[in-house]
Amino acid sequence: MSEYILEMQNISKSFAGVQALKDVSIRCRPGRVYGLVGENGAGKSTLMKILAGAYRADAGEIIYKGQRREGLSAGEIIDSGISIIYQELALVPRMSVAENIFLGREPRHAVGVLNLKALHQGAAALLNRLGIALDTNLPVSELTVAQRQLVEIAKALSQNADLIVMDEPSAILAGSELDQLFGIIESLVEQGVTIIYISHRLDEVFRIADEVTVLKDGELVDTRPIDQLDRQTLVRLMVGRPLDEIFPRTEHEQGELVLVAEDVSTDTILEGASLELYKGEILGIAGMVGSGRTELARALFGADPLTSGTITLAGDKGASWSNPAQAIESGLVLVPEDRKSHGLFTSLSVRVNITLPILSRVTRFGILQSQAEDEVVEEAKVRLSIVMASADQEAQYLSGGNQQKVVLAKWLETHPAIVILDEPTRGVDVGAKFEIYKLMRQLNDRGIAIVMISSELPEVIGMSDRILVMNDGRIVGEVAQEDATEAGIIELATMAGAKAKVS
Amino acid sequence: MSVAKPYESATSVGDWPLRLRLFVANYGVYIALVALLLAATVLTPRLYDVNTIAVVMRQASQLGIVAIGQTLILLVAGLDLSVGGIFLMTSIVVADVTNGRDELVIPAILIALALGALVGLGNGVLVTKRRVPPFVATLGMLVLVKGATQAYTKGVPGGFVPDILGIVNQSWFVLSIPLLLWLGLNAVFIFVLRRTAYGRKVYAVGSNIEAARLSGISVDGIRISVYILGSCLAVASGVVLTGYVGYVDRFIGTGLELDSIAAAIVGGTAFVGGRGGLLGTIAGVLIIQILSTMAVLMGLDIEVQFIIKGLVILGAVTLYSLANVEE
Repeated sequence: MSEYILEMQNISKSFAGVQALKDVSIRCRPGRVYGLVGENGAGKSTLMKILAGAYRADAGEIIYKGQRREGLSAGEIIDSGISIIYQELALVPRMSVAENIFLGREPRHAVGVLNLKALHQGAAALLNRLGIALDTNLPVSELTVAQRQLVEIAKALSQNADLIVMDEPSAILAGSELDQLFGIIESLVEQGVTIIYISHRLDEVFRIADEVTVLKDGELVDTRPIDQLDRQTLVRLMVGRPLDEIFPRTEHEQGELVLVAEDVSTDTILEGASLELYKGEILGIAGMVGSGRTELARALFGADPLTSGTITLAGDKGASWSNPAQAIESGLVLVPEDRKSHGLFTSLSVRVNITLPILSRVTRFGILQSQAEDEVVEEAKVRLSIVMASADQEAQYLSGGNQQKVVLAKWLETHPAIVILDEPTRGVDVGAKFEIYKLMRQLNDRGIAIVMISSELPEVIGMSDRILVMNDGRIVGEVAQEDATEAGIIELATMAGAKAKVS
Repeated sequence: MSVAKPYESATSVGDWPLRLRLFVANYGVYIALVALLLAATVLTPRLYDVNTIAVVMRQASQLGIVAIGQTLILLVAGLDLSVGGIFLMTSIVVADVTNGRDELVIPAILIALALGALVGLGNGVLVTKRRVPPFVATLGMLVLVKGATQAYTKGVPGGFVPDILGIVNQSWFVLSIPLLLWLGLNAVFIFVLRRTAYGRKVYAVGSNIEAARLSGISVDGIRISVYILGSCLAVASGVVLTGYVGYVDRFIGTGLELDSIAAAIVGGTAFVGGRGGLLGTIAGVLIIQILSTMAVLMGLDIEVQFIIKGLVILGAVTLYSLANVEE
């Protein structure tokens, strides 16, 4: 048997005549962590889907555990010890933790009746092996996103996986959850499991990977041991050009006050949040996933009814609102975190997507004015350089990056004074991130105030003028940009019982 | 397009298989309609008698008017089974209020419209405020309305249908009042859906309700209004049906609630909302109506008619699934 558990050799794959992967080879030794990085569309997911049996390669071969693998179904591949944890978790919400872990492979008594005792004991043993304390009876719908991810890992283990692929596992994790994930990866590796780790976050790759493979435009750029790489080199390999990683900054004085929120609570975890927002600044909101950041954004936008507190525009306007329509009218917009499910109308045209919040501007007596609408769409297209066949193309047929631009365009066309961005660069590649940062600065220069929620601390620190840290539904601290450190923010964000002490 | 983004390229307009699939999904129903009309020239040439055409058009109008409402409701990812109850209710209100007197037709129709709007409001409130699935809410409403009308008449409908309503059975060449009403309502609602802010909101709510809410649209208001419109259109259909039957029939319009859904679906309106429109529904209505007329002309048994109708619905849904880009 060779020293490699997996060899994918000269893999090529094209979709409808377009080369998605060209002659890509990777090799993995047992008990090591392989980082797989590259911009969106570089071919990472396609390569892993070929490994999982979801796609069939046009050329090349896969040698797994010393044997050429051919024509296996996805189920047979799982049985052979390859497990893939996708970004979109594949759990059944109403079923318990134990039932999910053993879904389709439940332990049975002789006559085929479920062996519930073995089911729960088996699940508990697996969770134990991962060092997780979780009630195996709980329905998955009751779990946090981070806990669900751990259940997915337990499920992979229950399939006796020797090779686990994690597709951006950290996109939904932060802080201590991430530490827990890395701890689990380390213990898996000690047990001889091989991990392929796909991530956009280079810090994590440096922290966890033994070797890094870089893909670009469907081709293999290089595979190097991590100790022969530094951050700058890796970024250069990924984007194919040296990228100034410094966040774009513009010097400006603190503008006038535009928004005041006082003691805001909603029927969610959010409790007693107060903040002030100034013209032309970026106010960063940091905190763990589930700390109430998104809830704060929704409250400011009027998407969730307030149970206490007030939100008003500063100055002579003094407007307040209780629903998104009024918020938009007052010049405040929210670009939601989950753009595909909360932002985009996939079955509708780009035109309809963009003009939806400003229908009153492109209609007269409720009737659409084609010319006014065309002008708005053209302006948006040019401003954000949206690539589309025509404005009547359905949004679902655009690329992911262009879909995001359509959502952004839609909100910018309302000519807002305040923009709330919830995870603006999540799942976005390095090049596109930089474009978004530049756009945010342009908005600042036009006097627009931005509230930016982000799980990526370098981004929060690099972009924000001030940073509010949330913990357990409350704002627990404010840090000025020049004083901000990752360690300091993490400490505030993870301080135990911040809420319990007060109430 | 660059080689860098396989998904973008694979789904761009240069992709012939996808273009073909989209063409089929967009125009398949019209092609099917033309094919059916061509087939009829050989199989049932009698379909092209002026009198037959007039009858087909009158019947298509009965179905078509309800189908307009059904399309609107499907567009917001809803469904309305209660229209069957509304036909019966309309028929009874017309007979009861007028008791055969022509001059009371207008007040009777207005009362029926008001009651219909109330049923639609009930459907809408159940679906939006109580989050009852549309199938369950409107099924409950169907049973409730049928039960209430029968309780009111004690099972023996009184009153007479005024003679003037018999006008719906008259044709001038192929034109008739029901046909003109159907065409007029289509013109109005096609304009509303395509060229007004309200229409845009209907599509947005059906396409992505959460995004619509976050875009400042009153999603509950839009959905309730659509259910009310659907019920009022069912009343209009009910008036035509009443004039057609000429008396209060306990089984009036039976089957039309499901046929109206089928017509919209065959015409390309998505069951999950946000996609489709009235031009497709018109074609869907004509296909269903012409098929059953052809079956009658060919002397086929009623079971065979059902089998054909079923195959048409399943075939249409299979065709539309081709346009889905997600694997």
